[in-house]
Amino acid sequence: MAPSALSAADVRSVLARAMESTAVLAPVRRGRSSFAFQWIADPAEAVFSYPRTILPPKQALLPPREDLFVFQRAPEPAVRPPAAPDPITLFGVHPCDLAAIGQLDWAMQERHGICDPNYAARRAHTTIIGLECLPDEYCFCPSVGTAHTRAGADLFLTPVGEEFVAEALTEKGEALLASAGEKRAPSAEARDTWEHWAEDKESRVSRRLKAQPKELPDLLEAEYESEVWEATAARCYSCGTCTSVCPTCFCFDVEDVVEVGLASGARRRQYDSCQFLEFASVAGGHNFRGERPDRVRHRWFRKFVHLNREYGDAFCVGCGRCTKFCTADIGLVEVLNSIVEASE
Amino acid sequence: MTQTRSRRAGPDPSGLYLPRTARVVRAENLTRQDRLIEIALPEGQALGHRPGQFVQVSLLGYGEAPISVSSGPQQTGSFELCVRRLGNVTTALHALQPGDPVGIRGPFGNGFPMDHLVGRDCLVVAGGIGLAPLRSVIHSILARRERYGRLIVLHGARREEDILFRDEIAEWQQDPRNEVLLTVDEPTPGWKGRVGVITTLFPEIEVDPANLVVVAMVGPPVMYRFVILELRGLGIKNDQMFMSLERRMKCGVGKCGHCQIDGRCVCVDGPVFSGTEIMAMHEAI
Repeated sequence: MAPSALSAADVRSVLARAMESTAVLAPVRRGRSSFAFQWIADPAEAVFSYPRTILPPKQALLPPREDLFVFQRAPEPAVRPPAAPDPITLFGVHPCDLAAIGQLDWAMQERHGICDPNYAARRAHTTIIGLECLPDEYCFCPSVGTAHTRAGADLFLTPVGEEFVAEALTEKGEALLASAGEKRAPSAEARDTWEHWAEDKESRVSRRLKAQPKELPDLLEAEYESEVWEATAARCYSCGTCTSVCPTCFCFDVEDVVEVGLASGARRRQYDSCQFLEFASVAGGHNFRGERPDRVRHRWFRKFVHLNREYGDAFCVGCGRCTKFCTADIGLVEVLNSIVEASE
Repeated sequence: MTQTRSRRAGPDPSGLYLPRTARVVRAENLTRQDRLIEIALPEGQALGHRPGQFVQVSLLGYGEAPISVSSGPQQTGSFELCVRRLGNVTTALHALQPGDPVGIRGPFGNGFPMDHLVGRDCLVVAGGIGLAPLRSVIHSILARRERYGRLIVLHGARREEDILFRDEIAEWQQDPRNEVLLTVDEPTPGWKGRVGVITTLFPEIEVDPANLVVVAMVGPPVMYRFVILELRGLGIKNDQMFMSLERRMKCGVGKCGHCQIDGRCVCVDGPVFSGTEIMAMHEAI
C-alpha cells in the first residue's frame, strides 16, 4: 500500500474516529520532560513527539494489577472469569514498543503452547497506531534489531516536518486512515525524508552493544562467574524499577483479595520482580536467589541467554527505560559490554 | 524426557486460571504437621495424573499452593494430597473437613518416567515430605507389581513421629520384593531404627546399578547434592536418576516466572528432572 500524507489535524481526526468505538491510550505530557501513556478523553491530549514514556504501553495488555477471575465464597463457592475487555486503541507506539508487544504476544500466548486467556482477550481487541521516533542517548534499538519494527501496528505514522507519512498495514489501519478523508500522496520532499528515516535514525544512536544478540547466550554463559555480577550488585538496590519499566518483563505474583464482608473477592495478579528478595524463595524458607548478585545475573541471563535461546532473539527491545530510570545508574548495555570485553 | 505436558492451549483457554470446585472426601492427620486430604473432582471427573505431577490447590480468599499428588494414577474417583502446614494456604487446607469445597487446577508438570521403570529395580529416596509425591510412584508400582523389579524405599524424617504413612510402610514390607529403610535425625526414646540424615542409609543397601532407576525428592538443595554423591558411589549414572525439585509455582503454566531454573520452568519442564539435566543447570540444587 502506497503511503499517504496526513496533517496533524488529520491524525487527530483518526484519533477521534478511534475514540468513537474504543478507549484510546496515548502518550500525554506529564511534566517538563516526562510523558506517560494515558487513557485520553480528547484527541488534543495526545502528543506526537516524545522520547519515551516511563511505563510502556504493556500496561494496556498486561495491566500492573488485574483480576484473573472473581469469586464468591458464600453461600456456595463460585468462580467467574472477568468480564470481556473493551476494545482499545494504542496510539503513538514507537517501533521498540511495537517489538516488545510482539515479544509479549509470544510469551503470554504461545510460550510452552499455553495461552494466557486474560492477555489474549485484551490483545484480540487491540488496535495499534505506531509512531516513528528519533533516538536519544539511552536508545540502543539498532543493537537488538528493533529500530524499524512495523509488525504489530495497524497504522504507522512517520512525522515529516509538519505532516505525517501514514502506512496502513492492516484492514483496521486502512479503515482508520479512511476516516481522515480523501487520501493524498506525500510531497516529494516528505517522501524523501521518510525514505531516509531509517539511516538517519541509525546514525543518531550512540549506545551500542558490542556483540550480536545471537552471540550473547554463549558469551554470557562463559562469564557466569564473572565479577561483573558482583560489581553490578554492589550498586544495585534491588528496587525493581528496571523490571517495572521494562516493556518485555512479564513475571507476576498472584494473591486473593477479599471484600470486607469476606463473601466475595478476586484472584488478582500483579507485576512481580525477579530483583525482589522473596522472588525465588520456597516454602520452608530456602531462597534460590537469596544473594543480590544472583538476582542481578538472573535478569541479564533471562533476557539475553534463556529467553533469547527459547524465543530466538534477545528479550529486550533497546528502549533504554531500565537504564534511564535505574535508581543506581546501572546501564544495561554497559553491563553487557563489560561481559563482552571480559570474554575477548 | 519426552512426556506430553498437560493443559496445552486448546481452542478455549479461558479456564486456564479457573479452579474446578472439588470436594474433600476424607481428611486425617498423618503427623503433627502433615495432613492427608482425599479429594473428589465434580461429576466423577478423573484427575488423570501421572506420578510426580502436581495440582494447584486453592481456597477462595486464601490463595493457591502447588501440591504434589500423593496417590497413584490407578486410584480413580478421587486423589490424595499430603499437605504440610507451612503457610497461609496450607494452614487453611489443614482445617478442611469431609464435604468441604476445595479448588483444583491441573494436573501440571511432567511427572516421573514410569515407562522407564518397567522391568527395572526402583530405588526411592524420600526426605521428609518428599515421600508424598514418591508415594504416587510406589502405589503405581504396587498396583502392577509384576511389571517391576525390586522396590527399595529410603525415607528419612526428623523424628519418629514425623515418619509419613507408617501403616502403609508396614504393608509394603510384607512383600519380600520390597525393602524399606527408615532413619530419623533426632531419636526419641524407644526408637530402634537408624539415626542420621538419609545418606546414612546408602551403605546398607545393595543394588545392581545397571538395572536401577532412582526417583528422589529430598528437601533442601544441599541434601540433593549429598544424595547424588551417594548414588554415584553406588555406580548409578546421572541419566538413571530422576529428582523432583521444589519451586514456588504461582501460575503452574509457565507464565509467572517464579519457578524458573536457568532456562527451564519447573511447572512445565519439571518438576522432575534427570540427574543429567540437573547437573547441566546452575541453579537447580
